[in-house]
Amino acid sequence: MTILTGKTGTRGGLRPLLRKIWEHRADYAYVLPAIAVMLIVIAYPIYYTVELSFFNTPPGLQLRDKIFVGVDNYTAILSSEIFWKVTSNTLIWTLASTFIAFVLGFACALALHRDFVGRGVLRAILIIPWVISAVAASYIWKWIYHSDFGIIGAVLVQFGLADRPPNFIDSVSTVLPSLIVVNIWREFPFAMIMMMAGLQTVPDQLLRAAKVDGANAWQRFWHVTFPHLRNVSTVTILLLAVANFNSFIIPWIMTGGGPSNASHIWITHIYELAFGRQRWGVASAYSVLLFLILMMFGYFYVRALSGNERKDGSA
Amino acid sequence: MSTTAETAARGQPRRRMRVDGWRWGGRIFLVFMVLYTALPMIWMLLTSIKSGFAAMQFPPQWWPDQPTLASYQKLLDPQNSVGQDFLRFFWNSLFVSTATTMLSVIVAVPAAYAFSRFTFPGRNFLFFAVLLRNMFPAVIFLVPLFILMRAIGLVNTHGSLILTYLTFGLPLAIWLLKGFYDNIPVQLEQAARIDGATRFQAFILIVMPLSAPGIIATAIYSFIGAWNEYIYAYTFLSKNEQLTLPVGIQRFFSENTTDFPGLMAASFIMSVPVVVLFLVLQRYFVRALTEGAVKH
Repeated sequence: MTILTGKTGTRGGLRPLLRKIWEHRADYAYVLPAIAVMLIVIAYPIYYTVELSFFNTPPGLQLRDKIFVGVDNYTAILSSEIFWKVTSNTLIWTLASTFIAFVLGFACALALHRDFVGRGVLRAILIIPWVISAVAASYIWKWIYHSDFGIIGAVLVQFGLADRPPNFIDSVSTVLPSLIVVNIWREFPFAMIMMMAGLQTVPDQLLRAAKVDGANAWQRFWHVTFPHLRNVSTVTILLLAVANFNSFIIPWIMTGGGPSNASHIWITHIYELAFGRQRWGVASAYSVLLFLILMMFGYFYVRALSGNERKDGSA
Repeated sequence: MSTTAETAARGQPRRRMRVDGWRWGGRIFLVFMVLYTALPMIWMLLTSIKSGFAAMQFPPQWWPDQPTLASYQKLLDPQNSVGQDFLRFFWNSLFVSTATTMLSVIVAVPAAYAFSRFTFPGRNFLFFAVLLRNMFPAVIFLVPLFILMRAIGLVNTHGSLILTYLTFGLPLAIWLLKGFYDNIPVQLEQAARIDGATRFQAFILIVMPLSAPGIIATAIYSFIGAWNEYIYAYTFLSKNEQLTLPVGIQRFFSENTTDFPGLMAASFIMSVPVVVLFLVLQRYFVRALTEGAVKH
């Protein structure tokens, strides 16, 4: 039990490794609770999902009587029309939400970076959407978009921009953009907080030096501020992308995936397959595919984070 | 907004000859963002103090003609059935969130400390394995977890929620706290141990107080996450008296689809605790993110 022995080389065979593990046995006690919880709630579900994805589970059949069907579930998914519809929805949803939320959040962080009267109040107001529950947010916006009594429709009619209130979430062409607006409303504050934290680490001397050298505001931002924020930006964008890819509540509560699947994204579709139509096998196969895609995200996530680690170690 | 601008200009000692386009752009942008953020919430509040009849009008009453607190009275009155349900959902949410918060601090603090201080084989692997939890959506875990919870007899109990909520709060908690411990000089602990403290005493008396902002931030994050969680609560709980607020409200208003003032009042009441908590403690949260996660 040594505090910070420093990294020793990892050469040597199994025996030294085992000895090292034994020497550090007390250290594991600290992480054991965390790891145990993680194992129960993560490792087992992943194993079970992969197993179930190779079985057919007709409705009305007990789950333990499932029928082995090999990769049929996968081929059925990839050849179905709805798969491609849902995938394109998910891509639009994830890319648009992530990009716009990040840009808006970053811009807010920059605009709030300089001290002025009322800054704290503005910051507090801007953060609120991120804090309130997505269920509450969904209901608020559902009411705002309401096709008869919604306030946006009413404003458009009052100003003569529309004859009658438009259908925002009951129309195939507008439902996805309308939901993305809600999602961005809830997520840009997260990007703002992360980037505000990042901005505080940009050294003032560098900015002043650049100013003395005659750099204008844009050049100072692009050549000094932004390079300092590259790591934070990567982590923020990845976290946003993953959260968007995995979002469920907003489409589920506001539209349930409708009208005619126009707002179904992967997660809502999987949920409906599993809990709506009891097709656990297909839903599990979907989950495994999703899992593989997320592993790709995960690879970049770990790389971004371990970029932090390396710098940390050398500092 | 104009007073803000004047004060900002006065605070600036250097005289500006030309209009600073970037700053004006920033101000206009901020006004736009504040409207985007605040107007939906203002409309929620205005709707919640209308009667059901007044809410269903076209063109709408921009300002309620006869403001009424009837929706709030209905929701918060323990005498009628609606109020009874709503208050029960509220306490359920409070219980689950508080238990989750306390447990995640208890589990995350030692884990983060170990990841920061000790070098044991597999340390990096375990650290990233914990972080990877954030990558996976709840839906993947729903079915197997439901079966697991049934096997260990936790279905339809709040325990099932607390156990699952723990795991999605933990990764960020451990990550944040590890950053904090990395920044606390190890010499402080060594000095304490030379003075005769045990490692545990050094941890409790030296390290814990220094990492208090991180622990507060972790606690806020867990609490808000648990308070707002929907999918697991929606799937794991079926008994009406156990529902938490998000699910309870959804169940309740899928039966009364036209009671928008009631729905807005419920959304407002549901948002109050987390918003107040966050606004009171937000400086810790931003500081923890800066020191724990970003500054490396």
